[in-house]
Amino acid sequence: MTGLPVESPTVAAESLEARRRPLTRGRALRASVPYALILPVAAAIGAILGYPLYNLVKLSFERYGLFELIQHRGHWIGLHNYGSVLHDHVFWATVLRTVVFTAVNVGLTIVLGTLIALLLVRVSTWVRILLTSGLVLVWSMPAVVAVQLWYWMTNFQNGVVNYVLGLGQHDWYASPTSQLGMVTTLIVWAAIPFVVVTVYAGLAQVPAELVEAAEIDGARPFRIFRDVTFPILKPILLILTSLSIIWDFGVFTQPYLLIGDAHVNSSNFLMGIYLFKEAYRTSDFGRGAAISVLMIGMVAVLSVFYVRKMLKLGDSE
Amino acid sequence: MKGRIIARRFGLIAVLAAALAIAASAGASVSAPDRAAATTVTVWLQTDAQADNWAPIVAAANAQFQQTHPGVTVDVQYQTWGTHLQKFDATLAGGSSPDVIEMGNTEMTKYMAAGAFQDLSSDRASFPNASTWLKGLAASGTYNGHLFGVPYYAGSRVVTYRTDLFKQAGIKVPATLAEFTSDAKTLATKFGSKKGFSPVYIAGTDWYIAMSFVYDYGGSIAKTSGGKWVGNLTSAKSLAGLAAYKAFFDAASRASKTTDETRPNPYDVYAQGLAASMIGPAWFTCCVGKKYTTSTGQFVMPSHTPGQVMPGFLGGSDLAVPIGADKALAVDWIKAYTSTQAEKALEAIGNIPNTTSLFNPTKVNEKAASRSWFVPTSKNWVNVENENILRNMLAQILTGKLTIKQAAIAASDTISSILNAK
Repeated sequence: MTGLPVESPTVAAESLEARRRPLTRGRALRASVPYALILPVAAAIGAILGYPLYNLVKLSFERYGLFELIQHRGHWIGLHNYGSVLHDHVFWATVLRTVVFTAVNVGLTIVLGTLIALLLVRVSTWVRILLTSGLVLVWSMPAVVAVQLWYWMTNFQNGVVNYVLGLGQHDWYASPTSQLGMVTTLIVWAAIPFVVVTVYAGLAQVPAELVEAAEIDGARPFRIFRDVTFPILKPILLILTSLSIIWDFGVFTQPYLLIGDAHVNSSNFLMGIYLFKEAYRTSDFGRGAAISVLMIGMVAVLSVFYVRKMLKLGDSE
Repeated sequence: MKGRIIARRFGLIAVLAAALAIAASAGASVSAPDRAAATTVTVWLQTDAQADNWAPIVAAANAQFQQTHPGVTVDVQYQTWGTHLQKFDATLAGGSSPDVIEMGNTEMTKYMAAGAFQDLSSDRASFPNASTWLKGLAASGTYNGHLFGVPYYAGSRVVTYRTDLFKQAGIKVPATLAEFTSDAKTLATKFGSKKGFSPVYIAGTDWYIAMSFVYDYGGSIAKTSGGKWVGNLTSAKSLAGLAAYKAFFDAASRASKTTDETRPNPYDVYAQGLAASMIGPAWFTCCVGKKYTTSTGQFVMPSHTPGQVMPGFLGGSDLAVPIGADKALAVDWIKAYTSTQAEKALEAIGNIPNTTSLFNPTKVNEKAASRSWFVPTSKNWVNVENENILRNMLAQILTGKLTIKQAAIAASDTISSILNAK
């Protein structure tokens, strides 16, 4: 295309063509159908997400504590909440801890999930049925119930894990690292089924001929995985990874309940819990809103990667 | 691909869940509904009052209230300590607060300072036994000289013990802390072969017990100086108290050093036969297990100073009337529920009544209340509790992760800054 459309013969020809086909009522109607179709969705998103989000951002610029809550009126204080959060070393320590926590959880989830999916292909039918049923059971277990079971198994006084391992009275919640370690086992355990089922479905797309050909060429199993299976699974793994990151970054229920309200403190905060404590327990809703906006920003950056990947995949299909 | 659409939607939900949660609680600005024609009085009590021996007292108060207010229903809703404040915040935002709310005495200041309650000063004289109210409890419901909370009941912490085990070990009720420590060692040698057996079960981070040691040695959590709060756990006396707590814990308790007094409940450990004694609220006798009801006794935690009792945390509850509530009806219900008759009944089930006129010094829990301590009366105190500053410090001290002094310095600094925050 040229820089000056007015003098461009192609553009002139196109506009001539357009003039020759006058905009009929039917054509206009047909053209507006797609927009009409997305209108309900746009309206719903606007009402359900847009309005609260607007309120949240507004709140993050206000002093809004218990006093203001009772008066139903905040005080505009500009960027003060953001300044106080960004200068809070607890915030930065929490961000760093959450990033490490997310990396470990996502890494373990994806690796273990993929390994089990690969195993699933190889086992006999009845073992596969048994294994899949087990995974679906894990998947369907509500987080709160799982936490209760986990705590029951690992508690100090008479936990069955200590009994089986013969550890006497080992304190599984003695330090922030071990507390978050216990949370990690719970989250990874609960997240694996989704990865297994999805990767297993993806493995069905790997052509058997390719694997056979590689085998005939003398490739060892790991080589086959690296050069044949993995490239085909890659898009699926990328999506699973991005999704897991989004989930694990904002996780709340499992760490809050397993570590316990009496034991979450600045030495083991994850973002979700830090936000909850600052907003609801300290009743500083303005500061809490600022933390959520920052947190949304971080997750949004991750989501951009995810959405781009999705769009690219859509194009290539 | 359906899965993909679902996945994308989940992504969005995850991103915005926190946003919705915050906006929903603080964004709503519904004005308080007109309560002039209220025919229902909504009361929030703690689940403790649902117990078999407690519920009749509530029912009797309701009946008495309804005699003077026929046609008015009393809707008692039971709350738990862990969540009632968040629920209350939400009702304050939505303008649907209860007419009467039970507040823990440590929770009052924050809400009084924020203007969450109606001023009851003008009604003060008309409340039963107002002139003989328990001083500490009345103080917790008073802010800037105005009354916002009516004393409901108090509770002290005592030692609940197995009389049979003490007998077998040949020990008597200890008179001093040193004696109790050596008794604990005797019990440990005699019954210690039982795995997880505690001579005196104390959850490591039970700060109510730990701070009693601090106050017993003359220390305190914080003090005021020039209109500001200063964390005082680093003072020599406080450090001595913390050291005494660690020494006693090490000698007496096999509980987790990092757990709290609800995981597990001390009485559950006791009921399993794994404790010769435990320190906690006097009502712990409720749940010691059928096997041990007849062999269970109570005594007052002894001080390190001979002849004295260790100061205990004076826990308790107030009844307050949130703004927007029907004050006249609420006040009348509170009067019915804190009548002399009701307080006598509360005393009979192991609580300390709100009035000194009913005091009975032969009762072990009331004897324990003769020396007591209370948390700093800053409106921000509840945030120190919420952020688990003291529990974290105790875990660090008991596990040896930090020295007593290091842990106390860190905690004390945080406490100062939280208490002085605007």
